[in-house]
Amino acid sequence: MLIAVAVIAVVGCRSATVPSSAVETREVHDDLGRTVKVPLKLERAISLAPSLTEMIFAIGAGEKLVGVTTYCNYPPETASIEKIGDTQTPNIEKIIALKPQVVFVSTASQLEAFTKTLEEQGIAVYVSNPKNLDQVFNGLKQLGELFGRSEYTDDLVGSLRARASIVRDQAHSYGGESVSKPTVFMQISNEPLFTIGRDSFLTNLVEQAGGVSATRDVGTAYPKLSKETAVALDPDVIIMSDSEDNREVNKAFKNSRAVKSGRVYRIDPDIISRPGPRLVDALERIEAMLHSETKN
Amino acid sequence: MNRRLFTWFLLTVALLFALLLALSFGSERLSIFDLSETQAAIFFDIRFPRVLLGACVGASLASAGASLQALLRNPLAEPYLLGVSNGAALGTMIAFVFFEQFVFARPLLAFAGAGLATFTVYQMARSRAGMNVERLVLSGVIVTTFLSSIIVLLTSLLDAARLRGFTFWLLGDLSQATMNGFYMTLAGVVIGAIVLTSQARPLNLMMIGERDALDFGVEVGRVRMIVFAMASLLVGTAVAASGSVGYVGLIVPHLVRLAIGSDNRLVIPFSAIAGAIFVVLADTVARTAIAPRELPVGAVTALIGAPMFIYLLKRS
Repeated sequence: MLIAVAVIAVVGCRSATVPSSAVETREVHDDLGRTVKVPLKLERAISLAPSLTEMIFAIGAGEKLVGVTTYCNYPPETASIEKIGDTQTPNIEKIIALKPQVVFVSTASQLEAFTKTLEEQGIAVYVSNPKNLDQVFNGLKQLGELFGRSEYTDDLVGSLRARASIVRDQAHSYGGESVSKPTVFMQISNEPLFTIGRDSFLTNLVEQAGGVSATRDVGTAYPKLSKETAVALDPDVIIMSDSEDNREVNKAFKNSRAVKSGRVYRIDPDIISRPGPRLVDALERIEAMLHSETKN
Repeated sequence: MNRRLFTWFLLTVALLFALLLALSFGSERLSIFDLSETQAAIFFDIRFPRVLLGACVGASLASAGASLQALLRNPLAEPYLLGVSNGAALGTMIAFVFFEQFVFARPLLAFAGAGLATFTVYQMARSRAGMNVERLVLSGVIVTTFLSSIIVLLTSLLDAARLRGFTFWLLGDLSQATMNGFYMTLAGVVIGAIVLTSQARPLNLMMIGERDALDFGVEVGRVRMIVFAMASLLVGTAVAASGSVGYVGLIVPHLVRLAIGSDNRLVIPFSAIAGAIFVVLADTVARTAIAPRELPVGAVTALIGAPMFIYLLKRS
């Protein structure tokens, strides 16, 4: 009897997903080069990354989101959207129950098993994984197209690009040939001392803002740095990702130029950890930090 | 006797050599005799306390391991494998979360946690038939995993950002070395190693068998309490300063026994010195292998220690 009920329930589920597969679809390629079938008119989507949530809201498609992660806290409208767990451990049952047409993910981790389960339910999985400002702009355009908001997105990307180029011009105007660029240490956490390395998009962002990341040659994206090296770096500016375990400058910097001259700043960790539209905000703020003294 | 003196001499020279070596190498190249202001800061504020702390941590863990092995008559009794380190880690974590303002909360609660874990494992491993290797190792595994799950639970319940560094630290990490941390572990290791060495004779007798030791007039219960308390003190102060550096208490006493036999009057102090050498060298690898990045020292000691553990398990 129980089995019979279960079978009926399963069959019921199946039939419920039939209409979504009957919807007209088209084939697109995502950031991994996978071919994904997405509906012509995308009405229900889920985002599994805070950066993607921010991008979807930025292109004005926020109301199409029926599910986001517990990490998604921006814009404030995300508060009223159903939470499907966090990025690493999304609740797959909840995702299916929300009947999305497309699930947007930013990483390829556990994608295999995950994708298969969702695709069996007629849910497409689209990978968007921007790693720097330009890729964010391209990602926005792709999303704009998927959600049928290309025109709006073109305007948005245009204005974001304009803001970024103003920052670069401004940064350039201080950094003449004679003036050396300030070296910047990004303190991601105090103890243990983590910073940004060669593979972090922030290294590039600092450069666009007219500085040089003091740890730009250190391997990996977020290395744990030797304090001996930290002392030797003697950066001009220290920018701390503003989280509870990172309120103080590491003691290795106590005699650094940055601490002596008071050029220590805090920045919202969300805007520097998410490769989304607010990366432009981060760029503007970092530029202002690097050149605040010159401006005064 | 000659051989004993020679071993003292050899180990002391080896320790000095290891300290010199460790102080000479780091992610930054320094010439010790010609230091600029910045280089002096690197040497005295960063490298010096770290190397000294490493020595104390190694001495603590190895002497604790040596005496636990003698007491439990089991070469696999190791603070990390018995869950003693995890007990200390949980204590440290509670201190870190709830009593951050008290300087002594970390070593004190680490000591308490280590003691509680030691006692629990001992009670679980003991049976009417005595205590065999499997029972002890299994009890250790159970207590270790239980404590690990509480640690994971706490990290999940509490604000993740605040404990982010803590999970890294759990692997055994000397990068947060300070002179204060060094003084605290130094106090622990001086008290612990001296008191444990003073119990070496009764421990020797107990290694033959607790009943025989009783016949010789050894107060077995008292010795057991002292060894548990001192091992907990040693592990507690070491873990509070550097997290769980694994396998030191396993490899070092084993090698010492291979070299000079199983007389605890020598095994315990020699293990302390050899443990200091081992951790100082392992941390030199951790500091320099992928410089300017760093490995946690616990990863280096485990890389050497885990195969050794398998070897010992096969043999016992």
